[in-house]
Parts: sequence; structure tokens; C-alpha cells
Amino acid sequence: MNDLATPSMAPEAITAQLIATLEDFTADWDSEFEGVMNSDTKLLADLSFESIDIIQLVVAIEEDFGKRKLPFEKLLMKDGRYVDDLSIGQISDFLAQQL
Amino acid sequence: MSKTLFIGLDGCTYTVLNEMTRELPDEGITMPFMKSVMEAGTRAKLASTPNPLTPPAWASIQTGRGPGHHGVFDFIRAEDKGGEIYWTLYDSRDIDCEFIWQIASRQGKKVAALNFPLTAPAPENVNGCVVPGFIPAKHLRRNTYPRELFDRMKQDIPGFDPKELAWDFDNEKQAMEKLSEEDTESWVRYHLPREEQWFRVAEYILRNDDPDLMAVMFDGTDKIQHQAWAYLDPELVPADPKPWEKRMRDVCLEYFRNLDGYIKRLVELAGPDAQVFFASDHGFTASTEVLRINAFLADKGYVKWAESDGSEQALRREASDFANLDWAGTTAYCRTPSSNGINIRVAARPGDSGVPPEQYESFREKLIDDLYSLSNEKGEPVVIDVLKREDWFPGKHMERAPDLTLVLRDHGFVSIRNFQPVVIQREVAAGTHHPDGIFMAYGPGVAASGMIERRQIVDVAPTLLHSVGLKVPKDFEGEVPAAFFSEQWLAQNPVQHGPKTKAPGERQAGEEMDEKEKQQLMEQLQMLGYME
Repeated sequence: MNDLATPSMAPEAITAQLIATLEDFTADWDSEFEGVMNSDTKLLADLSFESIDIIQLVVAIEEDFGKRKLPFEKLLMKDGRYVDDLSIGQISDFLAQQL
Repeated sequence: MSKTLFIGLDGCTYTVLNEMTRELPDEGITMPFMKSVMEAGTRAKLASTPNPLTPPAWASIQTGRGPGHHGVFDFIRAEDKGGEIYWTLYDSRDIDCEFIWQIASRQGKKVAALNFPLTAPAPENVNGCVVPGFIPAKHLRRNTYPRELFDRMKQDIPGFDPKELAWDFDNEKQAMEKLSEEDTESWVRYHLPREEQWFRVAEYILRNDDPDLMAVMFDGTDKIQHQAWAYLDPELVPADPKPWEKRMRDVCLEYFRNLDGYIKRLVELAGPDAQVFFASDHGFTASTEVLRINAFLADKGYVKWAESDGSEQALRREASDFANLDWAGTTAYCRTPSSNGINIRVAARPGDSGVPPEQYESFREKLIDDLYSLSNEKGEPVVIDVLKREDWFPGKHMERAPDLTLVLRDHGFVSIRNFQPVVIQREVAAGTHHPDGIFMAYGPGVAASGMIERRQIVDVAPTLLHSVGLKVPKDFEGEVPAAFFSEQWLAQNPVQHGPKTKAPGERQAGEEMDEKEKQQLMEQLQMLGYME
């Protein structure tokens, strides 16, 4: 259990933890992304995520934030369809509402 | 030296194994070591889960419980959110029962679980290691336990290649697709180095970690049988093969010959005192027709197809393995081909789309009648059994099961594509899952009884725990097959039942220490000055 996973995390702490998770998540990928991750970084466009990676990321976030079964469908689906891409900022905003 | 070695063989079936272990003209004996295992040990057919599929079946092997209790029914988990369906994949956290890896760990045994489905994220409180199967290479490091094991393998195992080892989603999807001759051969051949990688991992763990319970699963058997069944089924192998057919047969034999070598080596490394067990999650047989179940349900008025806007995303969606329907206009549908299941949408509140709760039973009975009415162009029934979930999936997670599970005449999986006609004959027989897999035992204390009566998939877990010296939890649904063992060994190692398995949240490593362990701990604490 990560010590940062406490109720009412500050938004900045959530973003920082999320970026740490993503950096660990993509550490040994053959990614062309060479910049520093920030709120504007996109999963598919910048980090070369595929759909299977998003499913794995959901698991990783739930593990690292110490929460089970967050309602990710609210983040991933819109009007009955999966969204095309997500930014770190969008995920962080979602987590801020749930944690 | 291990006390117990468990080798999982995904989809392994006696139909093929019997051929690989007998002398064949021009081929010899492909699996001579397995032949000696079968001659010296005991074996049985192993009845799979009601839907004989990798995730529920391997979950049952690893928990000793049926899907209604462990909660996993398919690869894909679908949640009906009223107006839409949310799709994701099952993972280890969805298994609501204790794994045998955890049960053995909390009683002081060291374990290794390699390439098993649904072991990612690694189950908690494991004393030993987990390298999960069915996980893409990009995510293998994160899901390996302990985390540093991944780096040790990279450093210590010559030729270790996560990309070659791990599950490739796009590649594995081809198991169920129709491929060209060249693609089929390439696809089968692709699995040979994968299996070599898993063998090297297992060899490394046996040499370096010395687990009490060592377990590894080889999944190439299942994959190859899906695409190359015509070159393995003795009733289908061509008597006068074309050059390409000969090459296909040869690459299949190469796979099984290699597998035999891996098994032999692992048995040697486990040591002469180890009992060895083999099990598969289901067997294999030939599928000769295709049932487009959602097209049938649409014809009967149960399914309404989603309107396609012709976009690239829509076309991609329609070609996927998830049902893409107009949910508001659908009352009964099949979610995935692998489920062979039909879900009935029940209206949660008056006015919601779906079947009113009070009409559920009559609706379902009519649906069952419609399903039994299905026949192929020869007039043969396509559906031979329709299983109700309360009969076949009892337990706290019954609600996750499809309302109905279909058993087709040829044991095939359904198609969910929007094509006509509803039933077609395959040009070439494809391999599909048969409910009967294999369960075998070999080594000291094992009887040399040959084939005995069929066992249940939930019998594997109690057998492994008993072999490694532990009591069988009394809430396990299976039994240790006494016929597997010699009378002498059983007299010295009688089957004993112990406390129930631990529910999630109750599990703590180190619990249930025996008296000797408690004494040792007290002595250590005294030396450290913690106790008076």
C-alpha cells in the first residue's frame, strides 16, 4: 500500500503519484516519448498506449492508490463509446473526484 | 529438490497425447518420457468447468472452487450499466477465493507459480515467486513477484526475452481466426520459442529457489491445437499429405518433442522424491460448424443490432470480440464468443429497457425452446444442452454468470458476428475445447494404475496441497483421488481436512504456525530481548 493513498489527497499529490505510476509503468517500453510527463501528456498520442495497456493501467492505478474498483467506466466511456485518448490531467481530475 | 512438481498443459487432451506416446510409422515416439510417465503412473480424464474455458477452468484449478464461488467466467468482464456495457478483462483480484499458492504460503511452504492465467497482479502473501501468464511483455515486470525477480531473470537466464516469453494479444487472437497456409505455419512455429522461454524460467527457479510446490504451465498446446488440429487429430491427419500438410505435421511434432524434453528435465531437477502431477484446463476436439448466435437471436427478436455509422471506429468495433448492440432494444444476447453464454437483460426499475423481473422465468423458458429448435442444414440439432446458471454455477457470484450457457453439438464456440446464414459448415475442421482434459500423477507414492475414472477439475487443488504435506481445506469442492496413490503411501500420508480457506482480507502470511515454529519464534524473540 502506497503511503500517498490516503483520503482527500491534494490534486498536486494525485498528479505526482499518477506520473510516478506512469513512469514505472512505461519504464522498459520501446517508447519514443522523451519529454517530461505533465498534465497535458496523452496516453495514446504521446506514450504509445494501446487498448490493452489502458486496462493494465487501471489495475496499476488501483494498486498504487490503494483503491479497488474505481468507476473507470465514467472516465473511459462517453455516450456508450470508448474515448479516443486521455491526458494525465483528465485521469488526475477523475481520481480527485474519487479519492 | 521440490516435494511437488505441477505441470499445467493448457488444453492438453488424451486424443493427442496417446498419439504422441506411441510408435507411429515414420515418426517414432514423439514423447518418450511422457510415455514412461503414463506407464509408471496413474491418469484420469478431468472434467472441466461447465464452460470449458481457460480463465474459469484455471481459476478452479488454482482455488479448488467452481466459478460460482471464485467469480471468473470468461476472459472479458462485462458490467451492464443500464444503457451501456462496460468491458474490461478479469484479473487476479476478481478471484474471490484463496489461491493454493496463498494457502501453501501461509503454512510455511515455498511456492512458485509460473505462467498461470489470472495470477496478475500477483496474489498477496505469497512465500516464493509468481511470474504470471497471459500478460503482455510490457506489463510483465510490474506483475512479477517479487519485483526484483524480473531483473534477476534478465541478468541470469541466457537468452531471456520478455517479448518472446509473454502473451501477445494480437498474435493470440489468431488462435480463433482462419489463417492462410503460410500464416498458420508461422503462427504455430511462433509458439516453439515461447515455450522454450517458459522452460528456461522454470529451470532457473528450480535450480535457484528450491520451492516446495513448483508449478509451471505450458500453453502452446492449446494454441497449436486451435489452428493445427487437422494435423494432430488421428481421425483427420491426412494419410497422403501434401508437402505443406507434411510441414505442418512436422512442426507440431517438433513442438511436442520439445515439450517432452522440458518435462523430463524439470522432473529430473525436482528430484527423485518429488511427486509429479499434470493437468489441463480442458481437452480438445474438432469443430465442424459455426453458430452465429446473435444473428439467430436477432432473427427471433431478442437482439437489436447497433446502427453503424460506417466510421473506422465502428468497423473496428464490429470486427471485435465484444457484442456491439442496441442495448435498449435488446433483451437477450451473447456477450463474447468465449462465454458461449446468453445474458438476459432484466429491467432494474419499471420503465427501464429489458425484461420485467416477473416475466424472467417465462421469457427464459421460451428462449430455451428457441435455442433447442436450432438445427443445421442436415437437420441436426446445433445446441445439445442449455445450462441454467443456478444449476451449474451455484455460489455467491452466480449473478456474474450468463443466464444460460450453451453446449454445442461439436463443442464449438459461438460467433457473435452479424452474418447470415445463422449456421454454416467449416471448410476445414478447427480445434475447439472439449470438456474432458487430463489429470496425471507420477513419482514416489503414486500407484501404477493406468487410466482410472474421470475426476473433476476442482480435484487438482486438494491433490497438490495433500502432496506437499498440507491438510485439505474443508470448503474445497474437490477431493484427493485416492486411486492416484499407492496404499502404502496413503497409509503413511492419510488425507486430512483442515480449516476453511481464508476470505480476502483474512489472509495473513505466517498464520497457523505449528508448535515447533512457534517455539522457534519465541526463542528468537527471547534472544532479541523482546520477551521475558
